[in-house]
Amino acid sequence: MRFEYSGYAIIVFLALSLTYATSVQSAEMTAYQIVKKSEDLLDQAKDSKADMLMILVNNKGEKRERNLNAFVKRYGNNKSKSIVFFNSPADVKGTSFLVWTNELKEDKQWLYLPALQRVRQISASGKGESFMGTELTFFDMGSQDVDDYTYNLIKDETVKGDLCYVIEATPKKVEFYSKVILWIRKGNFIPSKADFYDTKGQYQKQGIFENVKNIKGINTPTHIEMHNVQNGRATIIDLSNIVYDSGLKEDIFTERYMTRGN
Amino acid sequence: MRIIGAVLTALLWISLTSLKAEAFQYEGENGKLSLTGYLEGSAVYAFDGDTPRENPSEELGLELKASSASWLSIKIFLQAVDDGKVIDPKNKALFNQFDLIYQDKNPYVNINEAYLDIYTGKVDFRLGVQKFAWGRLDEISPTDILNTEDLTEGGTNDEIERKIGVPAMKMDVYSDLANVELGWIPVYVPYRLPQPDERWFPNVLKPPDVIKTNTLDIPVNTSYQDIDLPPVRLDNSELGVRVSKYIAGWDISCSYFTGYDPMPVMDAPVDLTVKLNNPLALDYEVNAKVTMVPEIHRMNVFGFDFTTTISSFTLRGEYAYFENQYFNRKLDTVLPQLVTTERQNEIFTEFIKAYLASGGKNNVQVFHIDPNVPIQEDSMKYGLGLDYIYGDTSVSMQCIQQFIPHYDESEPIYFNKDGLDTMLTFLFKQFFLQNTMEFNIRVAYGIEFQDFIVKPSLKYNFTDNLQGTIGAILIGGKYDDSLFGQFNDNNEMFAKLRCAF
Repeated sequence: MRFEYSGYAIIVFLALSLTYATSVQSAEMTAYQIVKKSEDLLDQAKDSKADMLMILVNNKGEKRERNLNAFVKRYGNNKSKSIVFFNSPADVKGTSFLVWTNELKEDKQWLYLPALQRVRQISASGKGESFMGTELTFFDMGSQDVDDYTYNLIKDETVKGDLCYVIEATPKKVEFYSKVILWIRKGNFIPSKADFYDTKGQYQKQGIFENVKNIKGINTPTHIEMHNVQNGRATIIDLSNIVYDSGLKEDIFTERYMTRGN
Repeated sequence: MRIIGAVLTALLWISLTSLKAEAFQYEGENGKLSLTGYLEGSAVYAFDGDTPRENPSEELGLELKASSASWLSIKIFLQAVDDGKVIDPKNKALFNQFDLIYQDKNPYVNINEAYLDIYTGKVDFRLGVQKFAWGRLDEISPTDILNTEDLTEGGTNDEIERKIGVPAMKMDVYSDLANVELGWIPVYVPYRLPQPDERWFPNVLKPPDVIKTNTLDIPVNTSYQDIDLPPVRLDNSELGVRVSKYIAGWDISCSYFTGYDPMPVMDAPVDLTVKLNNPLALDYEVNAKVTMVPEIHRMNVFGFDFTTTISSFTLRGEYAYFENQYFNRKLDTVLPQLVTTERQNEIFTEFIKAYLASGGKNNVQVFHIDPNVPIQEDSMKYGLGLDYIYGDTSVSMQCIQQFIPHYDESEPIYFNKDGLDTMLTFLFKQFFLQNTMEFNIRVAYGIEFQDFIVKPSLKYNFTDNLQGTIGAILIGGKYDDSLFGQFNDNNEMFAKLRCAF
């Protein structure tokens, strides 16, 4: 009952995080510097909001759509608040999910289910688990420390017209992936795609970040796909109506707005 | 009467065969308007053949939402139901009424909620028919008593479906100090019960067919009276206040309610009819007519609740103290006490006096006895809940206890043994197939009465709009007057198909 919704929220959070990239001039950089640069660019805007269409594709190619609205506000020192409202399908309409992230303490999460008409503080575990049937795990969505990996710049490669750094990231402690291959655009440091290998070293899934738009000076991938090659499923995310630094009110990230809706 | 049912069935069929239904949505400069809803068909197979049958039922739900500005919105949620449970509907009204207990009619329209929201800077108002949601425990929330419940399915359906929307005014005040919720219900809306001959009518509200005494067996004829509501006055209204605050990872609330007990409490006045068939042989015939008369009593409820997270667990707790609560004493102990040998002798003495005074004409006399079935006891109800979520799996456990400090063993009441009633609940939920399939099992077990209810169900989303559910309700208990045990014979399987639009 809980996780199905929280998963969406985290996807949105991820998607919006990935949009905080801007155009920079690249020089000769190490693999670590490239990834660190990409991470540093994540904190560009103080707040953001967007509409989101998420499509779940099963191994028969059948699709299920979910529509959401997401709002994120950042406070520095890795503190942030995010809230997501679910507009469709009908059985989740009116659901909202609120997260207060604090680097030093564990995240606080609240879920509002219209069917119960109650806001409930929740806790969740199982970082390696898929949520809401998406091809993303909670680990994928969480904030990961760049220093938890070692990096190796393999080569340069052109992906759909964009020249990219190809970097192999290997976790210092294997928990969920044995390695991740990243394609990071040289032009703007936005990831173009990423290949994930499971703990047995088998190719598991591929993330694609496309349709980059410049919104208020920020280059933003508005189309994200995650294809699981092992089970044949995919998750597709399309962002629209993205607005940065609109001065979101603090009130939005409260129980009051969770129950009221957007 | 079956016309609406037929129309609903046709609508359901059309929507299911087309597998596509569209909601109406409008969004413009002046505001938003949406009309959404669902059509649901359900069927029940009862395992026990001697309980009344249910016909397949259909339900059409329509929800209209409109907002003209950021400070105003309207919601109207209506349900048109062709209810398969009704055997002998007598009430011809189309809408469910807010002043009746027995109004289980077919078909009917229910105003689930219909209210106006007004948002101001730090204060929100909600006016109209609405549902409150207090407390932290699932399904059985001691402080959540502003709404009465629709018990026409024996309380086996979900909490939100059981709640009856009540005409009320709610005010929410938000501040850095705390959030305050104030609910005012000007008119008490009674709980709803099925007809006495329907399968979910509570066994504990059925007097025994015969009152057995040492000297004779008295046949009982029972009738059910609807509620007599208090006049609409300010001092008869209900009021609830809840103060909530988030402190260092804890969501805590304190609440106070003054109003009427939302649960059924009934007196059972008895008219004993004594007929002298043969004066010479002193051949008497005695019959009892029991009238179940709903009573409502004002009470005060002081509550406290909290939620926090500990590691990977969510911990929830709730406590409520009920001042001036009334309970139903057990009818099978109350009624025989009315006709003890001593009391019978008194009645016959009175009978003979009146008979002789009338010159032998008054050979049938009625003696009215008021047993005062409801008994006043302060009580407290409290519980703890623990939730654990791992990926697509979630587990929730609760322990809820009712304690009556001054319980009188000589006057036993229902659903409580020696002042204590403990219930354990368990909920397991697992999603499959990209969350298109959900297995759910809910269990409740009463420790003192050893009764239980188990509700497994499997839900599958054929499309984003079409959902099918199959499940079962399994009930058992050592005693037939316990909370679940009273529905011992009501095991069933059900199937539902819902098309949302």
